Parts: sequence; C-alpha cells; structure tokens
Amino acid sequence: MTHTTAKGYATRVDRDEIMRLLQAFQAAGLEYVLIGAAAMGFHGLIRTTQDLDLLIGATAENIERLRSALRAVYPDDPNISEISSEDLLGDYPAVRYVPPSGDLYLDVLTRLGEVASFETVEAEIHDIDGTQVNLATPSALYKLKKGTVRLQDQADAAALRERFKLKGE
Amino acid sequence: MGVQKFRSIEEMNKAPVPSSREPNFERFLRHCAQWWAIAPMRYPRGVFKFRTIEEAQKAREKYRLLK
Repeated sequence: MTHTTAKGYATRVDRDEIMRLLQAFQAAGLEYVLIGAAAMGFHGLIRTTQDLDLLIGATAENIERLRSALRAVYPDDPNISEISSEDLLGDYPAVRYVPPSGDLYLDVLTRLGEVASFETVEAEIHDIDGTQVNLATPSALYKLKKGTVRLQDQADAAALRERFKLKGE
Repeated sequence: MGVQKFRSIEEMNKAPVPSSREPNFERFLRHCAQWWAIAPMRYPRGVFKFRTIEEAQKAREKYRLLK
C-alpha cells in the first residue's frame, strides 16, 4: 500500500467506496475510461465533484460487466438491474446510478455527443495501490470539454490548456 | 515554503502555487470528502436515464439547487 493515510477525510468510507468501485471494474474486465472531474483530479487539477464519469465500451457484454461490478460493490441494491443495454445502446446513452450509500454517484456514458466513445478517447493506465485505472489523458479531456457550453467545462478546459500547455482554439 | 511575501498582487499572481507532496488522487478525494461533509448530496437513489449529457447535467443542477 503506497497511499497516504486518510487524515483529513470526512470519513474513510469515501475513499474506500471509490477504491472498491475501481477494483470491481478491473475484476469484471470492464472497458471504461474515467473522464470528468475525477479524471482531472488524477491529473492534479483538483476540484470537487460528487460523481464519477465513465465512458464505457458500448456492447451488451460490457454493460453486463458493469452490472456485475456494481453488484460486487452494492450487493443488495435491486436498482442495478435497471441499467440495461437496451437503454445504453439505444435512446439513453447516459445513465446515472446513485448507489444506496448516496455519497457519490456514477454517470455512465456509452457515447458523448456525435464523436466521442470509449474507442475514440485517448486514455492511459494509472496504478493506485495495485488497481489499474483507465484514465482519459489531459489532451482527451481538453477535447471533450473545450467545445461545450457549460461554464464548468469551459473553466476545466482552460485549466487543462494552461496546466498541460495544450494547443487549441 | 511556509510563507511567501510579495510586493504586489501581480508578483503574487506570477508566483508558482506551492504544490502538495500528496498524490493527486489523495488530494482529490480529500477535497471531495470535505465538500461532501459540508454539502451532503440530496440526489435520490436509483437509476436515471438521459437522452443526452445536457439532460443529465440539467438534472444534476436541479437537485443542487434544492439544497
């Protein structure tokens, strides 16, 4: 274990819950890329968030892996069955899952706009305490965020551009 | 680098921000945990479906405003 102690955390549950999720994703073989504020946090651009944004491979098998991973972490939650390939591969490419613990939630995406998907977003693997985390690169995050209208995304794009000296309009 | 002194706000803005030796992941989690302690989430539990990311963001804002 190489991580620092949890000194200063509101509770240990927050860290443990996120680590259990990341470990379950790896154990299930889930094809995913972590995007959004959590990915920015991994890259050192720290801002608060209450969700983990996951861009996942858009196949029925992978969505089953997602359900399997979530059941490993939240075994008593019947809501997980509502996450379906029919939705994620059909009219609802964005699904929000709020687990019983309620401290954080997951935004699961199979596509983002017209261009971004699991296959097209550049990613790199980070290791946390032996758990492999598939993380969008700063450049990929910048590309995802720079064209959007949401103010938070524009601020994120500006921060990414400045920190990583990215070129962009 | 406990205390830094500057002769002007411009000089201060140019100075590099002191960075923690703590890993980014740990800093991020600690930051979020502190926020969650002050502003617990009010989002209902369960699964919610959206046709676009914009729809998902609007739903998030709605519950944020309810706090």
